[in-house]
Amino acid sequence: MVSQKITVTNEQGMHMRPASLFCQTVTPFASDVKVVFNGTTYDAKSVMMLMSACIKCGSEIEIVCDGPDEADALKKAIELVESGLGD
Amino acid sequence: MFKGIAASRGIGIGSICVIVEHDLSFEKKKIEDTAAEKVRFSEAVEAFKAETSAMAEDIRKRIGPKEAEILEGHLVMISDPSMAGEMTKMIDAGQCAEAAVEAVCDMFIGMFSQMDDEMMKQRASDISDIKVSMLKLLLGIKDIDISKVEPGTILVARDLTPSMTSQINNKNVAGIITEVGGKTSHSAILARALEIPAVLSVPDITTLVKDKDTAIVDGTEGIVYINPEGDILSKYLIKREDFIRKQSELKGFLGKETLTADGESVELFCNIGTPKDAKKALECDGEGIGLFRSEFLFMDSGHLPTEEEQFNAYKEAAVTMGGKPVIIRTLDIGGDKDIPYLGMKKEENPFLGYRAVRYCLGNKEAYMLQLRAIIRASAFGKVKIMIPLVTCVEELRAVKEMVAEIKKDFDANGTDYDKDIEVGCMIETPAASLIADILAKEADFFSIGTNDLTQYTMSVDRGNSDVAYLYSTFQPSVLRSIRHIIECGREAGIPVGMCGEAAADPLMIPLLISFGLTEFSVNPVLVLTARCIISKWSKKEADELADKIMALTTEAEIVAALKEASKE
Repeated sequence: MVSQKITVTNEQGMHMRPASLFCQTVTPFASDVKVVFNGTTYDAKSVMMLMSACIKCGSEIEIVCDGPDEADALKKAIELVESGLGD
Repeated sequence: MFKGIAASRGIGIGSICVIVEHDLSFEKKKIEDTAAEKVRFSEAVEAFKAETSAMAEDIRKRIGPKEAEILEGHLVMISDPSMAGEMTKMIDAGQCAEAAVEAVCDMFIGMFSQMDDEMMKQRASDISDIKVSMLKLLLGIKDIDISKVEPGTILVARDLTPSMTSQINNKNVAGIITEVGGKTSHSAILARALEIPAVLSVPDITTLVKDKDTAIVDGTEGIVYINPEGDILSKYLIKREDFIRKQSELKGFLGKETLTADGESVELFCNIGTPKDAKKALECDGEGIGLFRSEFLFMDSGHLPTEEEQFNAYKEAAVTMGGKPVIIRTLDIGGDKDIPYLGMKKEENPFLGYRAVRYCLGNKEAYMLQLRAIIRASAFGKVKIMIPLVTCVEELRAVKEMVAEIKKDFDANGTDYDKDIEVGCMIETPAASLIADILAKEADFFSIGTNDLTQYTMSVDRGNSDVAYLYSTFQPSVLRSIRHIIECGREAGIPVGMCGEAAADPLMIPLLISFGLTEFSVNPVLVLTARCIISKWSKKEADELADKIMALTTEAEIVAALKEASKE
């Protein structure tokens, strides 16, 4: 299992479009991908779950990947958040 | 007369068509053949997707990609493992498809509607829309085709779902009234995009009217009349003509230069709060950014934004504006704007206390980060630095020294920036106004902030209803102050702008033209209105009016005389 903390900096936070982009990016990986925010763990392969976390700009999240391609999945997910989630 | 939320401007007059909500109740039965039920369910999901993508496509073509996003979101949501996936699991456990759809959707509706975030609350209405569409498909209920209503129809509904709004055509729908929804709801966004007048959140309206009733929808004021008297109707027929005429007049100013009636050119900029707003400023035809409030970066995040975070935001605005000026006001906190993590002390008189440039110069390390970020962004466009709440020349000097120090540092390590980056003052205190001649010798530009200037000049807290009557930019003292500031700027040969609400005030504009203001900075949506008003005044006419106004002694006389001279 690998994980990394990162701050969400895109202005809208995890709204519909950023959340779907995040979800689309991590879904192809065989590993489980979760987002931990405010002590709760959310399935990052579900847009609904990601949105239900109500992650806003400036929130710190932890991305946790577990599975055969966990390192790649984490790298891709971090890159996406760093680039501003397509916003 | 009924009152609601003014959601889309304009006047609509026509004949009502009430959109009836269908009875979506169903019998919860235990399913034996779950395989067959799952087939029925997935057929409904496929039909939903086909319908929704067809509507999204239609909206994209007819209105625009941004408006189509709502429906594309529905496609993403229904396909989500926690939606269709959970529903399938419930059917496996013996629930009927309708019950599964309802239970899963209701769970999410409950979750999203409780969130403390306007945009997230919108998701609840998305899911509710999905639920209704899915239940109709499963129960075999057909809706009326809104795209085929008679021309001149006023639609009345409890709520307009995105799937309904997608069928609305401004050729036959003259107005919209709903019982729920606010300015940011889908119905409002679509109504504005289609330029259909809309009043939302009118309580019980669907039960108070019937088909073929006559209605007036005043989407500018948020007022609805049902079966109005003849005199009200004729009044609104005239109002509607006026509105249409004015709108087409304003459209004529799109893409035009901002010129006075005698062809004198002035700059018309926009006030923005986030880098995203820069796009809006361009869409609204703004010629630059006259005020970029940098506070959002500090208020929306839970920590002091890093130099990099700030740089990216300023750069984005500079790049978006493509070489047009972007005036960034450095952190203006204190007063009524508190940022919890900065741990500022509670003050007896916050507006007279440790705020804006005073706070920044007292926290030079943090201020240095902001100035560095702005100066780095100047490599990507025409960026300028504006200092808020200046009261003495030492403050301007101190900031300029910091800027010089940063430039030296950047030169040493080869960081790109605009060597001619300008540093200007916000003139918004009586002190700055009185020494405008001194400041003008050392500042590269001025920008008058009328909100604070009025409050400080009149010594009035506009939030206090007992004294709010004194809060007026048309007080002789405030007008004299404005005239003096512009004069000092002109004599020193520096540009003087205005970024307060007054810059877009039709009554104020002729005075500003006469005083010699060179840059008007307004809310993006007011660009065309301001350009239109500026075009109606020549310098000579404005001077004649200003001479008359400046000889008057009370605010009431001034406002009355300006209203009389108004060319609206």
